Amino acid sequence: MKIITLSIITSSLVMAGAYKVPEQSINSMALGAAYVAHTEGADTAYYNPANMAFMEDKQFAEVGLTWAHLPRNEFVGNQAYSATEVYAANNKSEIENLQLPFMHYVANPIGDFRWGTSLTIPGGLTKRWESGHQKVSAEEFTLKVIEVNPSASYKVSDQFAVGGGLRFIYSEGVVNSDGGVIKPLKREMEGSTIEFGYNLALTYKPTADINMAATYRSKIDLGEEGEANLYISGVGKQFDASVKVPLPAALNLAVSKTWEDKYTVEVNYERTYWSAYKELDFNYGTPIQAALYDSFDASKPKNWNDTDTFRVGITAKVNDTVTVMAGYAKDETPVDKKYVSYELPDSDANIYSVGVRVKANENLSWGVAYLHDAKDALDITASDANVNGIIGKFSEGGADLLTVGMAYTF
Amino acid sequence: MKKIIKSVAMVAPLLFIIGCGDTLSQPSNETLKGGELMVEFSSELMKKTLIDAKVADENTTIFGYKAFKIPYTTTDEKGNEVKASGLFVIPTGLPAAVQPFGLSMVSDDHGTIFANREAPSVIADTNGAPDGSAIILTALGGFATLQPDYIGFGDSSEHYHPFVLKESLANATVDFIKTVKIFANENNITLNNQLFLTGYSEGGYAAMATLKKIEEESTGLTVTMAAPMAGPYALKTMADGVLSQPKLGVPSFMANVGYAYAQANDEALNSIINEPYASKLPTLFNGDLNRTQIDPQLTLDTTGDTGLFSSSFVSDYFTNDTNWFKEAVTTNNLHTWAPETSVKLVHCQGDDVIPYGISQLTAGTMTAMGASSVLVVPVELALGLDYNVTHGTCGTLAYKVTTGIFAQVRQVTIGY
Repeated sequence: MKIITLSIITSSLVMAGAYKVPEQSINSMALGAAYVAHTEGADTAYYNPANMAFMEDKQFAEVGLTWAHLPRNEFVGNQAYSATEVYAANNKSEIENLQLPFMHYVANPIGDFRWGTSLTIPGGLTKRWESGHQKVSAEEFTLKVIEVNPSASYKVSDQFAVGGGLRFIYSEGVVNSDGGVIKPLKREMEGSTIEFGYNLALTYKPTADINMAATYRSKIDLGEEGEANLYISGVGKQFDASVKVPLPAALNLAVSKTWEDKYTVEVNYERTYWSAYKELDFNYGTPIQAALYDSFDASKPKNWNDTDTFRVGITAKVNDTVTVMAGYAKDETPVDKKYVSYELPDSDANIYSVGVRVKANENLSWGVAYLHDAKDALDITASDANVNGIIGKFSEGGADLLTVGMAYTF
Repeated sequence: MKKIIKSVAMVAPLLFIIGCGDTLSQPSNETLKGGELMVEFSSELMKKTLIDAKVADENTTIFGYKAFKIPYTTTDEKGNEVKASGLFVIPTGLPAAVQPFGLSMVSDDHGTIFANREAPSVIADTNGAPDGSAIILTALGGFATLQPDYIGFGDSSEHYHPFVLKESLANATVDFIKTVKIFANENNITLNNQLFLTGYSEGGYAAMATLKKIEEESTGLTVTMAAPMAGPYALKTMADGVLSQPKLGVPSFMANVGYAYAQANDEALNSIINEPYASKLPTLFNGDLNRTQIDPQLTLDTTGDTGLFSSSFVSDYFTNDTNWFKEAVTTNNLHTWAPETSVKLVHCQGDDVIPYGISQLTAGTMTAMGASSVLVVPVELALGLDYNVTHGTCGTLAYKVTTGIFAQVRQVTIGY
């Protein structure tokens, strides 16, 4: 079973640390995902289901679409295949323009219980190099992830609520490599999977204007299974193929403070357990040809590190109609220079965001948010001993995202 | 309840985006009639590969290499049809001036193998890269190379391999040549009428069996020249020599002869092979193991209580003219006839498995029987070596010599 609309309505993107995408609604985009303790709309079902317990006795719905523009990565440097095979490898990756949808819904309470659900794109990456030494290993690496996340809350008291949900993940992966005239080897692989996980949440409100929250999303191993066409110099064979990449667990701790029921500041700390990504190991149903082994079968070490992300978001209700938001996040890459590869030349980032939400009438509101992900340049020297033979500097990259959406209460 | 139903209705559309997707399409290989492309290396890639392997330099003329697996039907010793396979390798990147002449064919019968993974079409499938003698004959020599897997390997791996049994080997080769000619015609590969025969060790024997079949039967084929290399043509003489020695040099060879001959002649294996080896041979020769895996599981003793062959069998072989094995190896001798085709018996003088004397005996016998053009070509002499070369290392050198001989004939007759 596949979600065929996935390939139509989404592609994937790289931002916010490796291939996890935390911004999945108007507010979260406007606040740079500093949006866990103080959540108000239908997206509460996703960001902190415990908070559904404190929402008004209405139904909430939100839909929207994010346009993502991913500029080129520029690489200036060399590719070393061995100590004696070192080649100039200056190149630029392809520009990506993507559309990412989201939907959220929170139902009326049933006693102290309440449920909701979300459709999101919680992770993904795409990186294409259409020429040069980069194409040898990463002509295209695409990971698409879509999540359906039904959740529920239980109000323990007026100050304390807990929540949790089930995560239904559908994912598709595409891996293409083409050695061209450099190496007579080529790979075309497509796979997909359906996986399951869970999420937990709790909120404590020591006072009416302070929210303290913790959320946890479980690790989900995306075991992509499909087929691979492997070519040696133009002659290909098809194999059953699989590869496993983790969608890492993440712990969020957040606190918010609201003044005069108008101004809210939220501070958020996120720990993402990327260390689960130890290796990238493609497996095949039958042994592949010996000449292909090193390039396409041997396990590639990743050894990623757990990361810390710090976020702050500010919300101001200008009047009964208009709410403005802004956010900042300092995001850490999980990828050590030793293990950087062309499919994901990730680096630390500063994330800036703004947004506005306008109430059109009693039930309907709409909003716009913009986020800029500014990646640091990544300089890999010979002393970094990069396992993929990369010696040089990655620059540019990052992302610009524009989200529009509308919310309805009834 | 109404609220719950309404809520469910709100999220139900999410479920309808689930459908069935497509799988990855098959590799975009060249489509062929009657065969499958296994390997394709351009002349540039082939040159780089051979230079990296230090077997060529920038000044060496090297052609591209394109190999096809071709299935075909042949006949075993008992006249049964067998679905077999072979590898057809052609050079690419030939000069435009040469192309109108078409490709000269070399039927190249492979040497003794035991594991199915060692068969030409299986190697091509497994490695996806040029391999073995076809590199010399095709990439360096510019010939179209035809390599039948033989019965017992490739597509016929479920069948026992008729080791040094002339009828099956000749059938497998002749039927493959005929099939390749049809394949080439249907796939716009231009061949000329030159057909050379060669092969090393068992392949030398097979090449000689093929020549005999083509000359004596109506196959529709004509051989330009044959250059069998280091083959056991005088099989009875070889058997006499091996069975009279106390030790076996390569026990798997004689064990395989006993195994194949017993199968072909409907004889019980334990009538010639001692236990426990008689019981082990079907497993040892099932196509999973190669020679280095088989030899340690056999004995080096020729006969006696600890020997491979039973004492009663060896005694009967040397004393009884109607001993079935003696009759069978005599029937499968390939030196007692007079070929009309020019034959070069390429052989290393230092051969420690198939004695050089076998080629000398073959040339002498054939000439005595009326053949006018059978010559022994000592590899060491042809290459100007001042040392003798053994059977294991002679193969590559012998192919180099043979390719040169065939190329000279092509140059004289066709002009390139």
